[in-house]
Amino acid sequence: MSTLSPDQWQALSPYLDRALAMTEDERGAWLSSLGERDPGLAAQLAALLSEHRVLAQEGFLENRRFALPNATGLAGQALGPYTLISQIGQGGMGSVWLARRSDGRFERQAAVKFVNIALAGRAIEERFKREGSILGRLTHPHIAELLDAGISSDGQPYLILEYVDGEAIDQYCDAHKLSVEARVRLFLDVLAAVAHAHANLVVHRDIKPSNVLVTTSGEVKLLDFGIAKLLEGEGQTGAATVLTHDGGSALTPQYAAPEQLTGRPITTATDVYALGVLLYLLLSGRHPAGSGPHSPAELVKAVLDLEPPRVSDATTADNSKLIAERRGATTDKLRRELRGDLDTIVGKALKKDPQERYASVTGLADDLQRYLKHEPISARPDALAYRTTKFLRRNRTVVALTAAAIVLVIGSLSTGLYVANRQRKIAEQRFAQVRQLANKFVDLDARIRGLQGSTKVRLQMVSDSLQYLRSLESEGHVDKDLALDIAFAYVRVAHAQGDPTSPNLGQFAEAKESLSQASKFVDAILADDPKNRRALFIATTIAHDRMVLADAEGRHEESLAYAKDAASLIERFLSLGNADPGDVYSMVYFYTNVANIAANCRRFDDAIRYCRRALEIAQPVEKAHIGEGGIYEALAETLRQSGDLEAALKTSNQAVELEQQQAADGHAALLINLGNALTTKGMILGRADAEPSLGRSGEALAAFQKAIAIAEELTKKDSIDFLSRYAEGNYALEAGNVLRHRDSRGALAVYDQAIARIREAKANSSTQRDEAELLSASSYPVRWMGSKAQAQQRIDRALQLLSDAHRFPAEKVEPMSDVYNALRAQADAYAETGQEMKAVQAYQQLLDELRAWKADTQNDFRDATCISRTWTALADLLRRVGRTDEAARLEAQRTELWNYWQSKLPNSQFLLRQSLVQIAPPAVSRSTAKR
Amino acid sequence: MSGANFSTVTLLIGAADRGDPSAADALFSTLYSELHRLAKRELARQSLPVTLSATTLLHQAYLGMAEREGPSFPDRARFMGYAARVMRGLIIDHARNRQAQKRGGQFEITSLRDDFDGSADYQELKNISETLEELARVDPALAEIVDLKFFCGFSFAEIAAMRAVSERTVQRNWEKARIYLHRKLRTDLSL
Repeated sequence: MSTLSPDQWQALSPYLDRALAMTEDERGAWLSSLGERDPGLAAQLAALLSEHRVLAQEGFLENRRFALPNATGLAGQALGPYTLISQIGQGGMGSVWLARRSDGRFERQAAVKFVNIALAGRAIEERFKREGSILGRLTHPHIAELLDAGISSDGQPYLILEYVDGEAIDQYCDAHKLSVEARVRLFLDVLAAVAHAHANLVVHRDIKPSNVLVTTSGEVKLLDFGIAKLLEGEGQTGAATVLTHDGGSALTPQYAAPEQLTGRPITTATDVYALGVLLYLLLSGRHPAGSGPHSPAELVKAVLDLEPPRVSDATTADNSKLIAERRGATTDKLRRELRGDLDTIVGKALKKDPQERYASVTGLADDLQRYLKHEPISARPDALAYRTTKFLRRNRTVVALTAAAIVLVIGSLSTGLYVANRQRKIAEQRFAQVRQLANKFVDLDARIRGLQGSTKVRLQMVSDSLQYLRSLESEGHVDKDLALDIAFAYVRVAHAQGDPTSPNLGQFAEAKESLSQASKFVDAILADDPKNRRALFIATTIAHDRMVLADAEGRHEESLAYAKDAASLIERFLSLGNADPGDVYSMVYFYTNVANIAANCRRFDDAIRYCRRALEIAQPVEKAHIGEGGIYEALAETLRQSGDLEAALKTSNQAVELEQQQAADGHAALLINLGNALTTKGMILGRADAEPSLGRSGEALAAFQKAIAIAEELTKKDSIDFLSRYAEGNYALEAGNVLRHRDSRGALAVYDQAIARIREAKANSSTQRDEAELLSASSYPVRWMGSKAQAQQRIDRALQLLSDAHRFPAEKVEPMSDVYNALRAQADAYAETGQEMKAVQAYQQLLDELRAWKADTQNDFRDATCISRTWTALADLLRRVGRTDEAARLEAQRTELWNYWQSKLPNSQFLLRQSLVQIAPPAVSRSTAKR
Repeated sequence: MSGANFSTVTLLIGAADRGDPSAADALFSTLYSELHRLAKRELARQSLPVTLSATTLLHQAYLGMAEREGPSFPDRARFMGYAARVMRGLIIDHARNRQAQKRGGQFEITSLRDDFDGSADYQELKNISETLEELARVDPALAEIVDLKFFCGFSFAEIAAMRAVSERTVQRNWEKARIYLHRKLRTDLSL
């Protein structure tokens, strides 16, 4: 009987499907008619079907007669010269037992690891036998020896290791209250062991505290060297133990290097990273990604994108005293000890890019030795780089707070700060300190916010303030008012660090920390006194700021949750009555952003509701009228996204008018708002592409160009400022997209200028994405002007950038996202250069990926438009290659979709234009790409 | 220690879905130890020797992990696809252990719970498993059904619900899988 090859199976499979669905009689007739057409096929089928009869009779696989695992007692059993005593653990790879050797020659204890290989198959057994001997040759006083490795006669693989009775290194250091210096010295022992292994070409891959034990005599022992390699398959990158056990059964990538998480090659630098994390922990008591539970996505993002705070800054207020104690110091002393060289050394070990780390463990050890001897180290500290998290491209930015409003806000609160507190029993000195601090904020910040070029000043202020705040806190009990002062101060610091709605340093992680500090105080007070006006105000501010940060980092569900918090806190505050006009303005401003966030998360009804409520609140209060432009803009954008373009345009015009008035009054920070309003207007008026719009591209262009001019102005004035750079790139993209259909050269100029700007800034994942978007978009005019090869280069580069930013390849693609645009550009490129088959494949894949993302074509107008346009492109192509049936099917789908939407939005001009496009004759060649 | 507790089965499933072999390995390891742990716990709770239901075990594992990892944890259907595969491994491991005990090899028999299964032949199961691996490369959906039905004991209805297809489709695929396996096993066995 011949064997069945995979190809044969694939060919037969659909026929089998049909056959199995028939009755015996039907089958017979069907088979014989098939036999006339293709006797070979019929014969094979018949053979399989008769096989089926046999197995059915045998009851093959019908009876499950096996039991499940129960606890088998292995204690007392022998494994070579060792006797198993008791189980001491259950690791990811199998159970671990304590064993004793007593064969007359000598007594020794060992740890036996049984490895589950039922999952892996044959190859691993062979490899195991082969590799075990290599590892056995690693002898070093600080490495737990591998005594033996093998496979029992029943195929159970096991490892016999030197038994180490010790504590995990972090616990040991804490228990013995080792000083920073002592910890570094101990750590050098660890490095010696790892260096030895590397010299023998063994990478550990799984360095973590539970693998680095210290015995009672203070000796370091590293466990599990090279076991990861032993267990991996051929051609795999050995991520099997990237995940570490943490007590229970949860596996965590706490010590994983970025390249381990993205499947890139593992090298000795990978161990350097893990050692960096370990050192960070030993010195600061914290993990570089922060304390507290993280969701898996957050943690990966932290490892891949977030720059960790410096070791010297890492102690949080929560337990900084305890941490310092465990290092035999006070918090101040500890910070002083860690600041400087140790910051630099740890920072270098933790670089995301393996090339930037210490190339070898010896390099790291050398620098640490130099540090101990007070000699200059080799690593260079980072220049004042800005550390940003993913500042996700959105189709909008949130409204900025006006300088005028800040003054109002502070004005309304500052009266509460000191005047009424005559009864406070605090030391004169402390009072003066706090006053100093608050004054610092009131004076500096208010003026700073409106000023250009002030980022560096802000930096100074932030570090000074943090110092003050920490010293205040560490001195113990604070009373209610002081607590609120401190809370508010933290909020201001957070703004300076990373408030995406105003010029900021882009330090989002630090900003979140500061907000957490603030909320600690505020929550305590509200629990006690839920109607405390100041506390409620600050709580609202915090909820709003967290919402905005979450949105900036692309965490939509979270931002929506905070939005709801903020909305309810706003109402609570307002229900207290008698609110100061400045406060009312703030509430309006908060509500506007809540609406923006809701719109970003596609909760259009909620967004509209919030906008209307904001207008309601603003109406009776004159001072609050400055916020109206922002509300109209939020409303316009929401209407645009939900498909009601006509209403959107009307509202957008109102927004532009109002913002123009504000900007004219001289508030520089407001220019961003005007820029946003103009961009929204431009988008509503027209992009000939996939965005729903009115198709008035000339007017759209005018609006975009004004917006770009504004952004350019702002960037010129303060080039570190994150907000204006981002805005510039965004506006340029929109403008170019409209322009390219009328003036390729002009569009290219716009794109290229924006690209040049982006390249000036230090690269991070958000600039990579922005650059990718611009490159994808610019590929069209480049190609239309005749340079096909260059256009392709741009697309390749865009995809490369997206890959570097971990956005690509992706199984799911969000409509109109950067990945979508790049893939669309590629597909269009194939289509326009005559590579039809590739184009068809590319479109189909893109559609699959859109589907996988679960685009909501029934409720989200933009999603529907995007999918529909993609269908159109594919349908055109299919017609060109003669696959008219498939093309017709797609077109039918499209028509159905638009009919559905027309009944939803009966007066939409945009929809009418869609129907017109569908009627256009199918055979038109699209190779001259004017649309 | 920082005390932070991160969970990444969610991540692993995502990566394994995309075809990352090392993530799949790590995933299997995790699931294996989780299921093993649950099995032991169940058995420790019951005083009488009793057959553990594989499906109960799987559901418990799912609930436990979903709770720990939060809302981003994949749905039951995706989870079961991987977990069923792991269950197969557990069952085969166990069969081998029992085999070893029976033969008395290097492990001597100590007191065992009642032998309530006589006929599960380790070698047979191992052969089925290896052939199943081959099938997984050719037609993964079929291999999955065998894991779900044969090794884990899910019914056609349950499988249909998990995979969002009709019961008839599941039945048909089951038959196809059986044909493939039976055919392969017969030709591979040296008689």
